[in-house]
Amino acid sequence: MGYDLHFGWTGTIGRVILGATRAEGGTRKTSYCIGGGTTLPFLEPDPLSKAPLVALEICDDSEFWSPIIRNYCGDLVNNVGAWANTAETVYGADLVRLYLTSTRLRNFSDIASIGKTIESVLRSTALPLIIEGSNEPRIDSEVFQMCGETAQGERILLGTAEADRYRSIAAAALAYNHSLIAQSPIDVNLAKQLNILVREIGVQRDHIVIDPYTGALGYGFEYSYSAMERIRFSALKGDADLSMPMISSAIDSLAIKEVREAEPSLQDDMAVRWEFYTGLAAAVAGAEIICVRHPKTVAMLKNAFDSMRNGAGFQGVKQDGTQGA
Amino acid sequence: MALKALDIYKLLPKKNCKECGDPTCLTFAMKLAGGKADVDLCPYLDEKAKSILGATTRPPIRLVKIGVGERSFAVGEEFVLYRHDKTFYHPPGIIFMVSDSQAPEEIADVTVRVRDETFTRIGSDLRFSGIAIVNTSGSPEVFARAVATVEENADLPLVLITESVDALNAALVQVGSYQPLIHAATRDNFREMCAVAKKHNCPLVVKAQGIENLEALAKDCLAEGIKKLVLDPCPQSLGDYISTATAIRQLAITRAAPDLGYPVFLDAACFCFQDAAIALGIVKYASVIVTPPLLPESSKAALTLRQNIYTDPQKPIQMNPGLYRVGTPGKDAPVLVTVNFSLTFFTLQGYLESSRVPCFMLIIDTEGLSVLTAVAAGKFNETLVRDSLKKFDIENEVSHKTLIIPGYAAPLSGRIEETTGWEVLVGPRDAAEIGEYLHEVWSKRPGLP
Repeated sequence: MGYDLHFGWTGTIGRVILGATRAEGGTRKTSYCIGGGTTLPFLEPDPLSKAPLVALEICDDSEFWSPIIRNYCGDLVNNVGAWANTAETVYGADLVRLYLTSTRLRNFSDIASIGKTIESVLRSTALPLIIEGSNEPRIDSEVFQMCGETAQGERILLGTAEADRYRSIAAAALAYNHSLIAQSPIDVNLAKQLNILVREIGVQRDHIVIDPYTGALGYGFEYSYSAMERIRFSALKGDADLSMPMISSAIDSLAIKEVREAEPSLQDDMAVRWEFYTGLAAAVAGAEIICVRHPKTVAMLKNAFDSMRNGAGFQGVKQDGTQGA
Repeated sequence: MALKALDIYKLLPKKNCKECGDPTCLTFAMKLAGGKADVDLCPYLDEKAKSILGATTRPPIRLVKIGVGERSFAVGEEFVLYRHDKTFYHPPGIIFMVSDSQAPEEIADVTVRVRDETFTRIGSDLRFSGIAIVNTSGSPEVFARAVATVEENADLPLVLITESVDALNAALVQVGSYQPLIHAATRDNFREMCAVAKKHNCPLVVKAQGIENLEALAKDCLAEGIKKLVLDPCPQSLGDYISTATAIRQLAITRAAPDLGYPVFLDAACFCFQDAAIALGIVKYASVIVTPPLLPESSKAALTLRQNIYTDPQKPIQMNPGLYRVGTPGKDAPVLVTVNFSLTFFTLQGYLESSRVPCFMLIIDTEGLSVLTAVAAGKFNETLVRDSLKKFDIENEVSHKTLIIPGYAAPLSGRIEETTGWEVLVGPRDAAEIGEYLHEVWSKRPGLP
């Protein structure tokens, strides 16, 4: 054929395994291996190449959550176990991302309660988990230790390490064989720097997921989009310090003016579209885990990703029959 | 191999006649060398010089203008595969589709919507781009009537979707002089379609499945004398669209396949995933996107994504921290604290300017994070505010000790007051409300003389 969608790249995106089945020492019904790409997203010639994963974000204290989700989900948001279960069985998410928002209460100290929350979520869903620990350096060490220990064997993804606070989370990931999210503020070089720091204290490449930070659509998303594209290229060109897979969560999507001020009858759909357009574009730029908060966004993204995979499409282009399945 | 400006200059007539729009032949040569001008703009070139210059100097993707008048738009003239390599220049037209089988009132409603609907974001008016009329009925008369209905309601760029030359001719009686985009020339009808497009000087979509077929057909249409072409690769799935559109862009910008050097057309109605097709078209190289009218909840997201992706990435994301003046503020002017994320800065600055209240903006270093994120991440905190007040010597700039902080930073107000000794007023969450806030709250605050 006269064209090549590999552009001469030689690098491969590193692989990270999320979740552990019983055979792998955990209790999840499945485990995912993300990464492994050799070109731009959705251009892999392999018809079996995987679609990005969609994670539903939930929390253990809904006071800190968007009123849009509280209204849509009703009482569910006050029962984190049931919420996690519904994410799997009704909303059809690939992953559950649990935010331990209870730790944000003033003078929070009931570390044992976090253990109970995580146990309940592990019991209620068989999906692999992402767990977001505390936001408060004072309790980081205890919180992440508790997350790591309670989820031992489950190969969770722990969030979120940043340049000035990554030690507690790295310690918990190392001690219990979990992976971690390394977040930097929309900058390729800062992402690389943080990966190096995290690796220097012992976290292996295949236990790191990059979060280049996703600004909401209309509020800086274009910078995140390009940061993700650039990280993907660096990886394909062979930069091992940027070759980890990426996660994207446009957490401000439900708080922006266009969504907040939408007519009440349109507000849910507006929130879903805002998350959808952002999530789809982030996946095209290279993110392999797309996190959303509105349940209706989950199926919409999954259907679109299915149709975007190269498998079926490539045969349409390649008329000479040399490619495809 | 690209030619240097001086090599090109040697082939030009050196008359400095200005007929190409440039002041001298040398400046025209420099534009040609940068791929920013078309060799056809020079009326005095002989065929030999044209053939030498033509392939290497025209923009790798030809500029195609659709429609006439205020709402006309141009697409093409793109140079890169990734926006961070330079920028994307010409945002895709998003065009609402109607069928000639619909009732005239419905057609008129959609037309009026595209004519009037505006959504303002950071100082720009975002709008949909035009109307596409599909010849579902198969009848030339019905098609012409539907086109006339659109034309009676608005002067918008049009796309005429029919493979029937009769229907096309009937429609062009109505709108032939407005340069509608014709969709589409196929392997079966391209000679007739090219003749019609040529007669009315209209841009023409070339439709074929598979890149080789598309390339061959575009070449044949060019041989018929049509240069304003747009490519429709008839994707079979969204995945097919991504790989085909990427290949076309790559082959075009590297000049590996000059016959693919035209903007790309995407019919978002082809798949069951209208929103996905539009989002994908915007990020991956579509220049004309035709879609059934978008639901209100999708409209803003689509227009915003288009604006985001076609923003120039060379503009910095962070502002330098410091004290910025809006107008000529006096010693009693308000001081507004905010983050150094450039989008926040420019948005706030825009609203402050339109409020006509002279003031100071104290920009603090939150590493380019937005207010919402900086507060959540602890980057926007009382010590940073205190240190910034000191560093930029605000005490000597104003005669009062009152700070206005963003609405989203409200939880910090107490701590900022304690740490800095300044009185804190909590401003609105949205920059759009800052003008009203300054007029209502700031200028009427207690303690004023």
